[in-house]
Amino acid sequence: MAYSDKVVDHYNNPRNVGTLDKSSNEVGTGLVGAPECGDVMRLQIRVNPETQVIEEAKFKTFGCGSAIASSSLATEWIKGRKVEEALAIKNTDIVKELSLPPVKIHCSVLAEDAIKAAIGDWKKKNGVAEAAETAHVQVAAQ
Amino acid sequence: MFQVLDSAVPVACWSCSVAHNESTLFCPHCSKIQPPIGGNYYSVFSLEPRLNLDLAALEQEFHRLSRKLHPDRFARATDSEKEWSLADTALLNDAYRTLRDPLRRTEYLLKLHGAEIGEEHSGKDRPKGEMGASRAPADLLEEVFDLNMQIEEMRMARASGEDDPVLAKSLSEAKAKFEGLQAEVDNDLHAQWTAWDNGDEPARQAAQKTMVALLDRRRYLSNLVREVSETMGA
Repeated sequence: MAYSDKVVDHYNNPRNVGTLDKSSNEVGTGLVGAPECGDVMRLQIRVNPETQVIEEAKFKTFGCGSAIASSSLATEWIKGRKVEEALAIKNTDIVKELSLPPVKIHCSVLAEDAIKAAIGDWKKKNGVAEAAETAHVQVAAQ
Repeated sequence: MFQVLDSAVPVACWSCSVAHNESTLFCPHCSKIQPPIGGNYYSVFSLEPRLNLDLAALEQEFHRLSRKLHPDRFARATDSEKEWSLADTALLNDAYRTLRDPLRRTEYLLKLHGAEIGEEHSGKDRPKGEMGASRAPADLLEEVFDLNMQIEEMRMARASGEDDPVLAKSLSEAKAKFEGLQAEVDNDLHAQWTAWDNGDEPARQAAQKTMVALLDRRRYLSNLVREVSETMGA
């Protein structure tokens, strides 16, 4: 199976690899994993408390090219968005953008889970109640 | 993929024409070898499909059947019988290797019962929520992540020809810890066997579900341990 050009690009030049200060109140950390393939993904966001905008996003992923590309793309997409908008990103958007084949769909699911986990962590730290229907907010992903 | 269990359809022996259960290697009536019976490892040993097995009896039966299938015994047999004896020997060996190993046996039997375990189902587009973080061993994620960081550092150190004894020590400690977790999973699996073997349908279903999750976790742990070993041995 050949990787798409976009996957190869993200794999060779991953965007936003790194770490944010986990203890900061402005930072949310999401750590997710797929038991089937052993991939682990850590995605972190720094949210501006005034504007609720994700100003910084970093990731570190141990896994296949598609998992790295999915998380790299995810950080690109959530940067500059408001928290609630970032929650609207669907794994299918990632599949489409990266032309992931069916066997790699779980990589995109992992990336979506990582975004949600990071935002969930940030909300918990900041006492923001989980908005029940955030999933229905419609925002174009690209 | 696999044959349905309990395929006790009687067929006539090619040699003596007496009907027998098609899953026997030899005709119970005239003792002639029978055409290969297909994929069920339990029927090779005429065993009930159970997780609790008498391993000593299994080994004895393996040796007995191996002797019976030995090529010397077919020196003057027909070509078909020679061919069958070879095919049966291969099947017998596979069956023995699978059934004597607790993990492989559990995986095999659950798969025969329709369970999806391991890599095969990972690519399927499962309904959202059944996959991803909810299925990952959440309790281990931190350690798995840290372990991966250490493995990466170790590889980089190796690549530049450095030796990092502190890192090596912490990796081997991590490896020991994950091996301990593997042993725990093995015990947890074992604890489900009797429920699966003897329970009613709901109990069996519940045990099966638990074991599928444990086997996924086991696979995850083995992959990690293997990766650490490879890194340290490199």
